[in-house]
Amino acid sequence: MRRLSLVGRVALLASVVALVVGVIVASALVAILSLRHSEARESQAKDVTVATLRVQELAVEIQSSLRGYVLSSRNQRFLTSLRDQRDELPGALAGLNRLVADDPAQLRRAHAAAEELRGYLQDYVDNVIVIARISPAVAAGPASGDEDRYRTQQIRNTLDLILATENTRSQHRAVHTRAVARTAEIIGIVGLAGSALLVLLFGAWVAHGVARPLRQTAEAATDVARGDLSVRLDEGGVGEVGALVSAFNSMTRSLEVSRRELLLQNERLRESEQHKRDLISMVSHELRTPLSAVLGFTSLLLERDFPGDEQRRYLEIVDTQARRLATLAGDFLDVQLLEGGGFELELAPFDLVELAREQTRLFFSHSESHGLVLDVPDEPVIVNGDRDRLAQVVGNLLSNAIKYSPDGGEVRVVVGERGGRAIFSVSDSGLGIPPEDRERVFDKFFRGAAKTTTVGGTGLGLAVAREIVTTHGGTIDVESTPGHGSTFTFEVPLSLTPAVSA
Amino acid sequence: MNGAGADGRPRALIVEDEDTLRELIVVTLGEAFACIEATDGDTALALLRESPPDLMLLDVAMPGLSGIDVLREMRADPVLKEVPVCVVSAWQSPGDVAKALEAGADRFLAKPFRVDELASIARSLVERRR
Repeated sequence: MRRLSLVGRVALLASVVALVVGVIVASALVAILSLRHSEARESQAKDVTVATLRVQELAVEIQSSLRGYVLSSRNQRFLTSLRDQRDELPGALAGLNRLVADDPAQLRRAHAAAEELRGYLQDYVDNVIVIARISPAVAAGPASGDEDRYRTQQIRNTLDLILATENTRSQHRAVHTRAVARTAEIIGIVGLAGSALLVLLFGAWVAHGVARPLRQTAEAATDVARGDLSVRLDEGGVGEVGALVSAFNSMTRSLEVSRRELLLQNERLRESEQHKRDLISMVSHELRTPLSAVLGFTSLLLERDFPGDEQRRYLEIVDTQARRLATLAGDFLDVQLLEGGGFELELAPFDLVELAREQTRLFFSHSESHGLVLDVPDEPVIVNGDRDRLAQVVGNLLSNAIKYSPDGGEVRVVVGERGGRAIFSVSDSGLGIPPEDRERVFDKFFRGAAKTTTVGGTGLGLAVAREIVTTHGGTIDVESTPGHGSTFTFEVPLSLTPAVSA
Repeated sequence: MNGAGADGRPRALIVEDEDTLRELIVVTLGEAFACIEATDGDTALALLRESPPDLMLLDVAMPGLSGIDVLREMRADPVLKEVPVCVVSAWQSPGDVAKALEAGADRFLAKPFRVDELASIARSLVERRR
């Protein structure tokens, strides 16, 4: 079923109610017309009766006048009235014919009555008047009287038949009229009741389909205003109401999502603040160890006289620890650069294989405790980049690999090419990184589980490395099997021109 | 080195994982003390039980057992209970210091320390015991 809009449904229902009311009014009109028609018929029946009675009266009067003329020994006065009554008769008969013109049976009877009257007048009345002039006794005799009675009775019978028919019809019409009135009454009552029911149903539907969802929406909006964003309304309302409900739901849903995001952001900010506090504490700790060595040995060197070789050894320690301090200072400088909006790169083509050899030599000449596997191609891998910055990245990955691998662990360095990009990876044999930390190891100040161990670090190295690699248009990521080690891999675009330096 | 007490110098156990700092402490105390060295908590406890020293200098942040763990174990041991301990740590917030003292440290020395202060603390701890 196609779903109608709310406005469509209201219009449809209003049309149905209007149609029902229209039918009721029309039925009432039909009933009124029918009643009026019946009234007209009724009055016509009365007219027919009056006209018939008048004809009957004239016939009786003619009979009386004739009898008076005969019995009064030809009193002319009776003959005059008879002539008047006789003159009046055709008019009365014509009136009756006019009234029953639309009814063939009655018309036939009226004609029969007229014929009988004509016969009575011509065949009897006229003859009796002639006989009365010749022999009054014969005219007043019993034979004449019988003939008169017979003829007038016949006329009366015909006229009575017209009256009876009219009366019967009138009764039938009254029954019909009553039936019509009753039908009109029933139509009116049923129609009114039906309309009232329809209006009630319409009201109930509006209450159910419109008012209730609106009230629920208002209540839910109040809940939302109070801060409960988990509130949801039952969907599936009619037309515009349904649209309102689903719009409300999608609004609360997106509000909830944004609030969750805000809370998450807030949580991240708090974590980041905590990281910063941790960093300050860690930095001061990181600085204290080399500072202790520098201050302690210079103090001893100034106060005591050591043999030459010992003196040299302590000075070397001071030198190394002072460099360590300088590296730490460099890390913090890089962080400032990171926050200030990136590095300025000095790009030039150079060989990544040569860089790998140089950096591993630097790191593994000090560390006899870790094994190195260097897997590089014989051909150079030329990239267009900032050599010092990429050396910093490689150095960071190598120092991490050594720092987080146990003594005797193996560090594997692989250089290669893939799809127009240079690939550099460093694998360690450390504890690995749990999946939930893998994205975050590149975040500033994030040190994962290392925070709780004694492995030193600022949590800045990988963040700086990622910044350097992405500024080169490259990517850096990590794969890790907890318990078996991690592999950090970065990719940078290959150079289109050969290396200029030897 | 373990038998260094034989020349009459008091014996000091230096527990520190950073090589340079351990060497600094040994050089600083070397004239007055016979120094024994440990780079982690477990080695320190083993050396302590082998032969209690006259003094212990203890770092806190170390791989494995921390300095605080070592201190707690020592103070629970009747033989090692009386060994004077100076905790030397880079973690020096009031909470860190309180934790060290509660665990049984006699003194707390913050890094970076002055070498003459380290020497005087070492001396006073040994003399007080005598």
